[in-house]
Amino acid sequence: METRIPELGRFAEPALLILVSLSDGPKHGYAIMTDVEAGTGRPMGPGTLYAALARLEERGLIEALPRVDRRRPYRLTALGSTVLAEQLRDLAEFAQLGLRRLGRSPG
Amino acid sequence: MIALLLRLYPARWRERYGDEFAAVLAERPIGPFDVADVLLGALDAHLHLRGLGAASQHGKGFVMSLRLGGYAAIVGSLLFLTGFLANAFDGSDDAWPTSGIILAGMLSLLIAMAGLSAYQARRHSALVWAAFLIPALGAVVASVATVLIGLFPDGDWAAPLSLWGLAMLGLVTLMAGSGLFAFASWRTGMLSRSGTALLGITGLLFIPGIIGALGTWPWEPFVSISLLATLFTFAAGWLLTGIAAVRADRPAYAPAGGAA
Repeated sequence: METRIPELGRFAEPALLILVSLSDGPKHGYAIMTDVEAGTGRPMGPGTLYAALARLEERGLIEALPRVDRRRPYRLTALGSTVLAEQLRDLAEFAQLGLRRLGRSPG
Repeated sequence: MIALLLRLYPARWRERYGDEFAAVLAERPIGPFDVADVLLGALDAHLHLRGLGAASQHGKGFVMSLRLGGYAAIVGSLLFLTGFLANAFDGSDDAWPTSGIILAGMLSLLIAMAGLSAYQARRHSALVWAAFLIPALGAVVASVATVLIGLFPDGDWAAPLSLWGLAMLGLVTLMAGSGLFAFASWRTGMLSRSGTALLGITGLLFIPGIIGALGTWPWEPFVSISLLATLFTFAAGWLLTGIAAVRADRPAYAPAGGAA
């Protein structure tokens, strides 16, 4: 069975945003929230954040680091990096398909 | 307010995430959007915790396969090469010590193939397991024959093929079959490209070596060079694949200045 982000149901999009946020280094929960908000312009609620974090951790896509005060940083695992790269490639291909059908060249 | 919201989550969830979740909620004023989101999150946690165990073990299993396969590939390739080189330079009649090293190498490589196949079977599953079967079969046959040779040095009950012949057949299947493993690994793109390329070359290099060993190649030194090159590319291929697998088991980037 393949670990894929779409398997995460309604948490697939938040999970993808979290993985992208962690792709440049470890972050704790609040830092992920603000990073996602800065990147997408849309807020990510704390309930959604932790539901997605729990699922990503269960699947071995991210891992928790030792706590710093009350904050716990998370980082991407090698498996998470592979899955994220696959997902981004799929999205890029899909975006190109959409642009071609609209008659607009990608990029 | 934060304590009240936390109480909505299951106790098991609070034990794991409670402190850090409270820290996130304390970072900024809690608005209606946050309250609604936390309520939905708490409901999800109650529903989701019921099926927690299986998914958790599933994710950890992939990581463990990669780690185990990587270390086994490193150990196996080094033992395999050491055993053959020691065998070539060993002047004594007793072949068992060097055969034992080769046997340990083959068994390690069998573990490596199983672990790495389990890791990369998330993509092209049928191809990966089909490519695993042939070299794995070769490793098992060669290992069993080597053990029998050690236990019954004068035995000859595998007619029409001698035990040595059986061991060699298994060895050839293992080394040439690693080319199939390399092809499947190349397709999945989840293991070292350079390591799998070397294993693929091993499968090709074996062809002139085998033809020469059967006595039909006109130039004798070419056969020795071909077999020696095969041995080294085989060991180097598994070594690189193992090192890359162990490295991939680390975080996906170098930590730079700690967590944000």
